[in-house]
Parts: sequence; C-alpha cells; structure tokens
Amino acid sequence: MRFQYLFGQAITNLRRNGLVVISAVLAVFVTLSLVFLAIVLRRVVDENTGRWDDDIRVIAFLTDDLTLEDIDGMQREIIAWDGVDEVVYFTKSQALEEFRELFADQPSLIEVVEEDPSTLPASLRIRPTEAADYDAISNRLAVLPGVRQVSSADAAIDNMVTLSNILRVGAVAISIFLGGAAVVLIGNTIRMAIYARRDEISIMKLVGAGNWFVRVPFLLEGAIEGLLGAILAVAAVIGMYRWFVPFFDAFPDWIAVDIPVEFLIQSSILVVLFGVAAGLLGSAIGMWGFLKD
Amino acid sequence: MIRLEGVTKVYDGSTVAVQDVTLEIQKGEFVFLVGPSGSGKSTLIRLMLRQELPSEGDIWVSGKHITKLPSWKVPLLRRSVGTVFQDFKLLPNKTVYENVAFALEVIGRPRHVVRTQVPQVLRLVGLAAKADRLPQQLSGGEQQRVSVARAFVNRPLILLADEPTGNLDPATSVGIMKLLDRINRTGTTVVMATHDHAIVDAMKRRVVALERGRVVRDQHRGAYQTAGLPTAEQAPAMVPTTPGPVPAGPAPAEPPPTDGEG
Repeated sequence: MRFQYLFGQAITNLRRNGLVVISAVLAVFVTLSLVFLAIVLRRVVDENTGRWDDDIRVIAFLTDDLTLEDIDGMQREIIAWDGVDEVVYFTKSQALEEFRELFADQPSLIEVVEEDPSTLPASLRIRPTEAADYDAISNRLAVLPGVRQVSSADAAIDNMVTLSNILRVGAVAISIFLGGAAVVLIGNTIRMAIYARRDEISIMKLVGAGNWFVRVPFLLEGAIEGLLGAILAVAAVIGMYRWFVPFFDAFPDWIAVDIPVEFLIQSSILVVLFGVAAGLLGSAIGMWGFLKD
Repeated sequence: MIRLEGVTKVYDGSTVAVQDVTLEIQKGEFVFLVGPSGSGKSTLIRLMLRQELPSEGDIWVSGKHITKLPSWKVPLLRRSVGTVFQDFKLLPNKTVYENVAFALEVIGRPRHVVRTQVPQVLRLVGLAAKADRLPQQLSGGEQQRVSVARAFVNRPLILLADEPTGNLDPATSVGIMKLLDRINRTGTTVVMATHDHAIVDAMKRRVVALERGRVVRDQHRGAYQTAGLPTAEQAPAMVPTTPGPVPAGPAPAEPPPTDGEG
C-alpha cells in the first residue's frame, strides 16, 4: 500500500505538469540518442579498423645497388624487431606484375612503366603484429641503409583512429553538455511539482511523515522521466541502425556494420541506467534546499 | 512534558523573538501563552515543534532533547505532537475524512487503523455526519474542528495550538475551546498561544504571559491580564474588542455540545 501510494503520487505529479515533463523527457531523449549513436558508430569504426589490421603492410622500397645477400641480411634483421610478424621480399618483376593488375584499365600508365622498369623498385613488405605498430616500424626502416623510401597505409589508419577518438570525445562532450541540460530540466519539473504540492508537503512534515516518505515520490518522478527518455532513445537508435544496415550491405568490402547483438543489448542497458541516474540526479537537484524541515 | 531552559531565538542576527525563556510544562497541563503580536508566542510553538532551532538554550519535549535531535528523528517527534493553526491548513481537494486520514497514511499507519480511528475522532469533534464534505463546504468553526481531529487522530501526548480561534467568532471559539478542554481531559498536554482575553479569562488555566520575547508572568488559574497592571501596548488595542472577561466563556466542566464519542 505504501509503495502504491508513493507511486501514485509520482504519477499525479507527472500528469500535473504535462508540458514541462514532456520537455524534460525530450531533452533526455535527444541527449541519450546522441550518446547512444556515438557509442554505436564508434563500435562500427573500431570493428572496421580491426578488420583492416590484417591487410596493413609497411613497404620499404629498396635502392637498386643491393645484392641478394644484403637483402637476405636485412630480412633477417627486420624479422627480429618487436612487432614484426612477417617480412616478404618483393622483386622488381613482381612489382611490375602487381602494377599491371592494379592499373589494368589504364594501359597508358602501364606503357610508361614498361619503358623504364627501374621506376618500380624492389621492396620488403612487412606485416606488423598490431596496426598501431606501423609507425615505430616505419621510423626504424627509414634510417636503415639500403632503404630508399618507406610507405604504408598510415593516412587511412590515422583517419580511423582519429574518427574513433573523435567519437569517444564527442560522446563524452555530448553527455556532459546535453546531459547537464537534461538534468536541469528534470530538476525544474521536480521543483514545479514540489511547488504545486507545497501545502500538502508542509502538512506531511507537520504530522511527522518521514523525510524519505516525502522525497520518494519526487525521486520516482525524476527516475520515470529519465527512464522514458532513455527508452525512447534506445528505440530510436536501434530503429535507425536497423533501417540503415541494408544500405551498407551493398558495400560489404568497404565497411562492415555488423555489430554483435550482445553489444547492442549491453549498451542499451547502460543507456537506460544512465537515463535513470540522470533522472535521480535531476530530482535531487530539484529538491535541494526545498524539502528541509 | 515540555521544558525550556534559557531559550533565546534571534532571527537574522538582529531580531530577538524570544529571550532567555525558561519554562516547564507538566504532563496533562493546559497552558495559555498570551501576549501581544510579536511577543514570541508563535516562535515558542515553532521551537517546540523544532520548526526552528533556538539560538541558545535547550528544549526537551516528551523526554527528548529536541535541540540535539538529529534531523532524521524530527518526524518521530512530530508524531507525538499534534498541531492546530489559525488558518486550519486543510487540503482543499480532500474531503473531511481524507484530510484526517492523510495524517495517518503519511506516517504509514495500516489501513485498518485508519478505518477505525478516523471515524472515531470525527465523532469526537462532532463531524461524523460531514465526513464526505470538502473543506470549503464547511463553516470556519467546522474546518477548525477537522484540523483538531487531524491533530488528535494519532493520539499525541501533546497538542500545540497557535491562535486556533484567531479566525473564528466568539461563539464558535467557545465550541473549539470545549473541544480542546475535552482533549486535555484525556491526559493530553495542551499548549495554546492566543490573544483572546475572553477565552483565557473564562478557562482559568495556567497563563504564561510574554512580552518582547520574555516571560513576564506565569500564573496558575490565571487570567489574560492581572488587574490593575495593563501594559502600555495592550491597553489601547484590547479595550474595544473585549466586552468583559466573564460572559463569553464556557464553564470548563460542562460537556461539549458535540457529543457522540464512541
């Protein structure tokens, strides 16, 4: 009966300030949608960076004056470095073969290269253990005698890492700013509810209602607002995700948007808990100093 | 039952509301706090309820040292003290029954207790027939009876009343006083702040007179004012409103008109 009573009070409060409650719920909804969206996008980016890890090679183009023994010695030296998985020697003719395949649709380019085969140097292709290791490997290769130039897919990797970081920082920034706004809006609805019930509250205090008996309806009210906003956000983001997935399926090689279902469930639960916590925090702020005595 | 020792209350660092008041009220007593507006009567009531903390001094209420009471225990103190105010403080959207039941519900009394005690106390105050009315459908005197019922429904040891007849005409006030007297006879200690001469003089109970925050008189079976000792503030203001000390007052022993107690 007690819980029923307290819950009933919370529901009455919510009804009494309909418009303000809706604005608070919408604020929570927008905030958590952006946060959840950032979480999901970041997961997509990380998933793809991981997939590309396997394809990353650091390429050391060699000078033309090296003997096969020199190259063999370099290979043995490099394979001993930390973070190096594999070192493959790529001859000039293999390079030309690869070039022909890559630019099969541009015969004029191939003609130019075939006239002077020395433009395509021999190279060592090194597979790093981790994508992140490529930078250190490139630096060591650059100062190695016999290496003309070092190249790798660094720009692409950097972009993915940067995007992942932007999404993380973005998610935190959004949570702080919009989350702050949502909490304040919830606090405002609580304060209005307290104001609407001030006579009732003063009588409750007068006849000796416990402090928590007075507070719980307002905490419940805030928690319900946070919960509603969070549920809307989860529904919106998951709906959006499922709507978008078929479009990306057309480019399976370019980007993978397959996120494990467990990850979606876990982060949804997290988002909902976050919403409830924001609601409780908001009502605590709303009650601050208003429910003394 | 209630003890104040050297209690001083200063508001905002400068306004002295109560100054060095020492007072002891025994169990079962009926005490009038009298004095002009601003003399500190209401502040004393608020201090006894711990709606305020004194700037100095100590207060004990029903054995509890309430000036040292942690705030989470304040609700427990208030459950042993009933309160009645000049403005009734009823909830306009609740019926008479609901207003009285509210006091029990919010302190978590089980439903069967509410169902037996509320009708009982409504009979005591003579409003059993109007249980389903809303406050605005009642007269001032009836509303105050509801408020007394709400204060007494939990059978408190102490009843504090701050100007309970302040909004009522003399005849209606008599009815409320009979009710308070009757509650006092059940063993409940009653402390009532008032500036109603007629009532105080007729009841012939203990009178504690305050002036500028100090106790200037504490008299058993007293009157509002000691003969021949009118103070400068009281004399001009009070003379026109008080026809005389005798006729309006009820004989305390007389049974109240609103009988039907179960």
